[in-house]
Amino acid sequence: METDKLEQLRSGDPVLFAELVRDHHRALIALTVPIVGISEAEEVVQNAWLKAYQAIGSFAGKSAIRTWLGSIAINEAKMQRRQRKRELLFSDHGDENQNTEDGLAQRFTERGHWQHPPAHWHTDSPESLLTGEQLAECLERLLAAMPDNQRCILEMRDASGLSFEEICNALTVSASNARVLLHRARTQLFKLVDHYEETGEC
Amino acid sequence: MLSCRELVNHADRLLEDDLSFSARIAIKFHLLLCRHCRRYVKQLRRLVAAIPFMHNKATDEEVHKIMDCIHSHRNL
Ligand SMILES: [Zn+2]
Repeated sequence: METDKLEQLRSGDPVLFAELVRDHHRALIALTVPIVGISEAEEVVQNAWLKAYQAIGSFAGKSAIRTWLGSIAINEAKMQRRQRKRELLFSDHGDENQNTEDGLAQRFTERGHWQHPPAHWHTDSPESLLTGEQLAECLERLLAAMPDNQRCILEMRDASGLSFEEICNALTVSASNARVLLHRARTQLFKLVDHYEETGEC
Repeated sequence: MLSCRELVNHADRLLEDDLSFSARIAIKFHLLLCRHCRRYVKQLRRLVAAIPFMHNKATDEEVHKIMDCIHSHRNL
């Protein structure tokens, strides 16, 4: 974020803050659903926005704004869960049958060389790689079908940039399991984009 | 030598720059010789950079709801 804009945002400019809400709200919802459930996520995220607005003057701009907002939302979700004495929905096992399919396994020869190497991806900018109209639809379907724990780690680590330490802390998952889940989730996305870039379909 | 499959399994740590010295050397060496894996790593990097942008923007209604909530608290 440019310095001028950051200063303006820090001073509490409501127009700029509304822009933040527009850009990050859905990601924060996705982040908190696995912790508090879909029915409470909206309330949790609303409280997180309130806290973020009150604290925006202290946002130093060192981390990405998404990561800063994500930490606030995660803390809010943890607090809510403690207050309601709810069980965590997240579980780091239970998708063993997913292992048999093992992501890119069929794309290697027996000796582990590429048999079907990645296609050349034409789309360059990070903003547009996943947002092409047709691909966005397929991505939505893929995320909906993805095991909850994989999607949860993907949202926390890749969509919001939270550290593994924060993730393990919020979910009581070990770092090594979190890494395995993240790898599986990324691999599914990689396959989707690769197929789309290669064939124009998904 | 490291196989392509093994490289793919180490790629996440490569992106985070979280590898032992010897693992890093093995990977760099493999990448020097294997254009498929070079492409894989380059595109995985691009994918990871794109993930923060994968969500739709909030609707006007959603934005207004949050901003109204903020305004009502500010005036308390
Ligand atoms: Zn290779």
